[in-house]
Amino acid sequence: MVEQIKQFFIQIGDLSRFASRFFKEFYKPPFEFKELLHQCYQMGNRSLVLVGLTGFIIGLVLTLQSRPTMIQFGAVSWMPNMVGISIVREIGPVITALICAGRIASGIGAELGSMRVTEQIDAMEVSGTNPFKYLVITRILATTLMLPLLVVFGDLIALYGSALVENIKGQVSFQLYFNTVFNALSFGDLVPATVKSFFFGFVIGLVGCYKGYYSKKGTAGVGVAANTAVVMASLLLFVVDFIAVFVSDIFYEL
Amino acid sequence: MTNDANTYQETVKSLDKKEEKKAVIRIRDVRKSFGDNHVLNGFNLELLEGENLVVMGKSGSGKSVMIKCLVGLMLPDSGYIEVMGKEIASLDHETLDELRSDIGFLFQGSALYDSMTVRENLEFPLRRHKEKLGKISDTTPLVLEALENVGLADAIDLMPAELSGGMKRRVALARTLILKPKIILYDEPTSGLDPITAKEIIELMRTIQKKYGTSSLIITHDVDCARVISERMVLLVDGINYAEGTYSELSASTDPKVEAFFKK
Amino acid sequence: MAKTQLQNLRLGIFVVLGTALLLFASYLIGNRQNMFGKTFEVSAVFKNATGLQNGNNVRFSGINVGTINAIEMINDTTIRVHMIIEDEMLNHIKKNATASIGSNGLVGSMLINIVPQKGRSELIKPGDELQSSSKVGTQDMLRTLNVTNQNAALLTANLIEVSESLTKGKGTLGKLLNDTTMANDLKQTITNLKYTSNQANTTFSELNKIIESIDLKESAVGVLLTDTVSARKTQNIIANLETSSIKLEKMSQDLKEITGGAKEGKGAINYLSQDTTLVKQLEQTMKNIEQGTERFNENMEALKHNFLTRGYFKKQAKEQKKEN
Repeated sequence: MVEQIKQFFIQIGDLSRFASRFFKEFYKPPFEFKELLHQCYQMGNRSLVLVGLTGFIIGLVLTLQSRPTMIQFGAVSWMPNMVGISIVREIGPVITALICAGRIASGIGAELGSMRVTEQIDAMEVSGTNPFKYLVITRILATTLMLPLLVVFGDLIALYGSALVENIKGQVSFQLYFNTVFNALSFGDLVPATVKSFFFGFVIGLVGCYKGYYSKKGTAGVGVAANTAVVMASLLLFVVDFIAVFVSDIFYEL
Repeated sequence: MTNDANTYQETVKSLDKKEEKKAVIRIRDVRKSFGDNHVLNGFNLELLEGENLVVMGKSGSGKSVMIKCLVGLMLPDSGYIEVMGKEIASLDHETLDELRSDIGFLFQGSALYDSMTVRENLEFPLRRHKEKLGKISDTTPLVLEALENVGLADAIDLMPAELSGGMKRRVALARTLILKPKIILYDEPTSGLDPITAKEIIELMRTIQKKYGTSSLIITHDVDCARVISERMVLLVDGINYAEGTYSELSASTDPKVEAFFKK
Repeated sequence: MAKTQLQNLRLGIFVVLGTALLLFASYLIGNRQNMFGKTFEVSAVFKNATGLQNGNNVRFSGINVGTINAIEMINDTTIRVHMIIEDEMLNHIKKNATASIGSNGLVGSMLINIVPQKGRSELIKPGDELQSSSKVGTQDMLRTLNVTNQNAALLTANLIEVSESLTKGKGTLGKLLNDTTMANDLKQTITNLKYTSNQANTTFSELNKIIESIDLKESAVGVLLTDTVSARKTQNIIANLETSSIKLEKMSQDLKEITGGAKEGKGAINYLSQDTTLVKQLEQTMKNIEQGTERFNENMEALKHNFLTRGYFKKQAKEQKKEN
């Protein structure tokens, strides 16, 4: 038990050291711009379908599930407000981030893990390319930049899914739906959610890279790296979300 | 302890004998341990210019650790390592990178980048070290030259996953050669290959050495490989350079620990 | 190389689209908060801001035309609310328009309604102060409803008390209802009265006949003196008359007794008419009931226009129509 707690703090400490190394090396040239673009493509475009599908279903289900209750309250006309705000504020960023934690963090963990195991990272170092810059910084940066965009798409598709239900079941036109949603939204909803998504992206990239980069030897190590990357990233996401709510509370009175 | 001291004395003597040849790698009393596992326990080694030196040892005897210390992938706990007149531990990142461009490293599992084609794999070392070869706008001739050296010019646009183990090793060798290094470090060049492919790789190593006049440090546990390629051998036992000599000298030794290597 | 080009192209499209969406969303939101586009500022002074916040909507004749950008406390009963309104509205809002604080639905956010008034007036200018009027807001409505409810509860409690005492025969009204002997007495008295007056009637008619007969014969006195039969008759009549009058006197005495009793507050009816506290109480109760129903009506009317409950009332109206 004591050992587990100790391990936990060691992990946190290692992760913090890894993060500080990211910020230290981030400013120093050379910049691996081409690799960054490649990673952005891998993480952004390749996750789009997954995020879109999840978002669509979430929007659909959320609306279908809350409709009966709203009808009981006689507040069906408030569905767009409720669904819109909950998607933009919380559900969109969190669901997208979780999906990406599953797809991207595990992907990075496995990829870097296997590169570590097969000495590809050493090979890079020997051939004069800083693997931390080439592999880690580009990936963390890519997730940090791509996640907010994915969240925007996820939100939009989720809202579309919700509007579809309202349109079919409640005879609410798409125009009315989106008008109501945007009337209900304020910068206090959009800005914290967007800022939050950057941090979500950072966490996903950081944890994935950390787990992969320090993967243990052997093929089992790769699996462990991928697995723990997802678990740790998901947990950290919620922690970050929790903190984000408090911090945004300071800037925007909720 | 006496044995250790004797070996050390012998090493010094043997070094004195070959004073006419310059040493490109010097390792003095290097120690490295992982927790309670003392992998290197005062290891000494010299690689002379243009020489093929084989370091033999059992798996887990610290051969890979030693070779990684040479290129700064790991730092020894104590001891002195000098490559081409520069002490590795004292170098900053840039000078180390510069030095590394003169050292080729063939990794145990080839270590080709899975996500890149053969061409991109070969181009990768050129990204940082273009200065060394002068300004080059088109890397294709260089890549092709390196691939022709290993007889795989056709494979230029394949992915590593499409290659066999032997081909991978050859591509890895080509990648090592592309910067025209002065020293090549081979980490188990024949491991995981069938005997015929292994022989091909060894032949390739010899041709390359003749062609470019490189110095080679080969670590292996493959006796056949050692016999064919070695000019001089060092046996790594218990973290020290236990015995030294040519293949015929060592294979004739009666020391049980040395004999163990050559038993079939 | 062509592959990476294609990747970069797709990535570019993705990034541009995503950024554009984000910008578009912020534009839509910002548009509502009047961060873009030309605006002007006016203010209005209220006694109570009733939970108004920065960013709440400002409506002119029901259309969202702006937002509240500052709420300033001038003193404990004066609160100045600054509003930012679209420039276009300069052509529509007149100086006599009044601003009131309302709410968007029963549980909705607060907003300011600017309502145009009848009569001619100049158009508004930036920096002007609008007249304010306090209208029944949701909160007020709920407060009145609360008071009404409390009143209604008091009322029913009183009613229960009253009816209880009525049945128990405690109060004067109850006594009246319950006292059967008294009722019988009253009935008897009235019958007596009737009987007496009947007899009086006959007596008088007989007397009339006699007087007529006296007239017909030479002289009444002569007849009286000479005719013994008639003298006896007359005597009899007079005796009759006497009894009648005695009876009458008794009757009137009885009546006098009743009315006297009533006056002195002994009778049941008079209890009722003379107990002023009870009368006042009753009056108050009736008034309360009246007031309560009035307020309730008012609230119901307001509720009817409320969009949360509007659906319910519409539905009711429809059902009524159907029934008719």
